[in-house]
Amino acid sequence: MGPATSRCTYRLQNPNHHAACAHGEAVGRCWVIGLAIKTENLSKVYTHDATGRPVGLMDLSLEVEEGQIFGLLGPNGSGKTTTLKLLLGLIFPTSGSGEIFGHPLGSNAYKERIGFLPEGPYFYEHLNGIELLQFYGALFGMGGSQLNARIEELLHLVGMWDRRFIRVRNYSRGMRQRIGAAQALINDPDLLFLDELTSGLDPIGAMEMHKLLMSLRDRGKTLFLCSHLLKDMEPLCDKVIILNQGRQCEMGRVDDLLRVEGQVRLELTGVSEEFAAKLKASADEVMVRDHLTVALFGTQSAALESAQAAAAAGATIAHLGAHQRTLEEVFIAAVGGDE
Amino acid sequence: MLPVIRVARATFHEAWRRRFLNGILVFAILIIGSSWLFAYLQPGAELQMVIDIGLGSIRFFGMLIAVFLGTRLVPDEMERRTIHTILAKPVSRAQFLIGKFAGGAITIAANLILMGLAFYAVFAIKAPAFVAEKPEDALIFQAMYGNIAKAILLSFFEMFLVLGIAVVASVIFTWVLSVITTFVLYFVGQMADLFQQLSDPERGAGLFARIVLGAAYRLLPHFEIFDMREAILQGIYVPWTTLAKTAGQGAAYLIVVLLIGYLVFNEREV
Ligand SMILES: Nc1ncnc2c1ncn2[C@@H]1O[C@H](COP(=O)(O)OP(=O)(O)OP(=O)(O)O)[C@@H](O)[C@H]1O
Ligand SMILES: [Mg+2]
Repeated sequence: MGPATSRCTYRLQNPNHHAACAHGEAVGRCWVIGLAIKTENLSKVYTHDATGRPVGLMDLSLEVEEGQIFGLLGPNGSGKTTTLKLLLGLIFPTSGSGEIFGHPLGSNAYKERIGFLPEGPYFYEHLNGIELLQFYGALFGMGGSQLNARIEELLHLVGMWDRRFIRVRNYSRGMRQRIGAAQALINDPDLLFLDELTSGLDPIGAMEMHKLLMSLRDRGKTLFLCSHLLKDMEPLCDKVIILNQGRQCEMGRVDDLLRVEGQVRLELTGVSEEFAAKLKASADEVMVRDHLTVALFGTQSAALESAQAAAAAGATIAHLGAHQRTLEEVFIAAVGGDE
Repeated sequence: MLPVIRVARATFHEAWRRRFLNGILVFAILIIGSSWLFAYLQPGAELQMVIDIGLGSIRFFGMLIAVFLGTRLVPDEMERRTIHTILAKPVSRAQFLIGKFAGGAITIAANLILMGLAFYAVFAIKAPAFVAEKPEDALIFQAMYGNIAKAILLSFFEMFLVLGIAVVASVIFTWVLSVITTFVLYFVGQMADLFQQLSDPERGAGLFARIVLGAAYRLLPHFEIFDMREAILQGIYVPWTTLAKTAGQGAAYLIVVLLIGYLVFNEREV
């Protein structure tokens, strides 16, 4: 909470912010209108597994501010798609509640302002790219030359213009994904839900999509991304939640999650088993990633000492420096590495 | 309104590409087209036979199409997950359901029109010859052309009602169960009058029969109201007001059915 005297400045940064805030809500008090998504103990229990644990999504409480890029991360089956379906009103919570732009989940009131790309999207097979976007545009009441112009723009944007007359039936996996992104953007939404945006895309396609996301963010759009591709999410997201087995196990701003005060990181390759044992004794923490051995030390001198010993033992120093965790490490620490 | 039209249009285009339904249509047209051949099996009643087979086929195959189309409309959307992107747009579940039904109704209408045209062609070509051989049918024959058109029109209303029941059953039950439910309602609905007779205390119906069969008579869709067979065969003029009344009854029942479907679908996870 900010001091009561300072007024909300959010609207200046974000043109989509509700105008009422300019009327003098205090900073930190305008959250009601500054939030794109808010959920409270949102739960969806499908069944219980053999050990009696609930399967689905349990007690998810999150807040996504307008203009944020929010990442919902988690291994397969952790409840990401379930969360999206709840937010879109496709399925209903067993308990808990949520709001999007201040409207209860499932209400039609916020559908005008959102876009949704499902995972592995499916469309009417008999339509071609243009017809498909005309169909989705018409669902927003769009039509005429305004819609046609929008469709042309989007087809160029997702790289489908040259393939616009191909029918969905004959689409490749990546083409479905691209046209899926286009239909999600047809109404120029303020809030976009993207489930595994880059799945099925070639590296260039994935890069283009990331650029697209950046440009949307720059225009003040709110993005809600589901993924397990942590490397992609790390530079993109402002804030993430990590889900595991339907429960939230880590949440925060990416900067905060990655920051570790005062630790020194030593990365080695070609470490012998003998030396690895020694390293475990001297380091605070040792992680092994494929061929890479990562050791963390509390002080610089301890790290240097081990680095020298490692070199003497025939290992190669790949990196030595201040420790920044990767999202992958945060993820593995949170999820516990279990499959 | 626009979303309903768009969903209906897409539904029609998808449905028109269903091989199985096209197969039923082709088969129906073959049967109707050869109905005059069967007529020779009933010497002396060829005219009646052509009408029986032709209109009977339209009703029967129309009903099959309505059941197998209607029970797949919504489940297909869910299984193929096309419904997810649609309901994420500003399309209410009511609009979606009505759009699916309307698209199905257009498909059925197109099928009935094709079958009707085939029958009309056969009738126009073959009936005069049959009448020439049996002059006492000449008067009846005059009234038949109009009545056949009215009978086909009635099949529209009838099949829309079957379609509505099929769509709603598919939202409530599994596919197999929804097919069975629709068939049972259709065939039992043909016999609604029988229930009334059986529940008549003056004919010796007990309390139990009166309650159960009486309720069945009131709740079941009365499909027999769509049957004009007798009137056509006897050359009785059927006034348009009768047709309008029948259509009204069908529409009232359809609205109730769709309303139930909406209430269930609104709570349904997709
Ligand atoms: N309709 C359903 N009925 C029963 N269980 C379901 C249903 N849908 C999902 N589940 C279960 O709920 C859990 C979460 O599934 P969900 O699809 O949300 O995972 P996810 O995080 O999206 O996974 P992925 O990364 O593979 O897409 C899984 O254990 C899944 O088996
Ligand atoms: Mg998923």
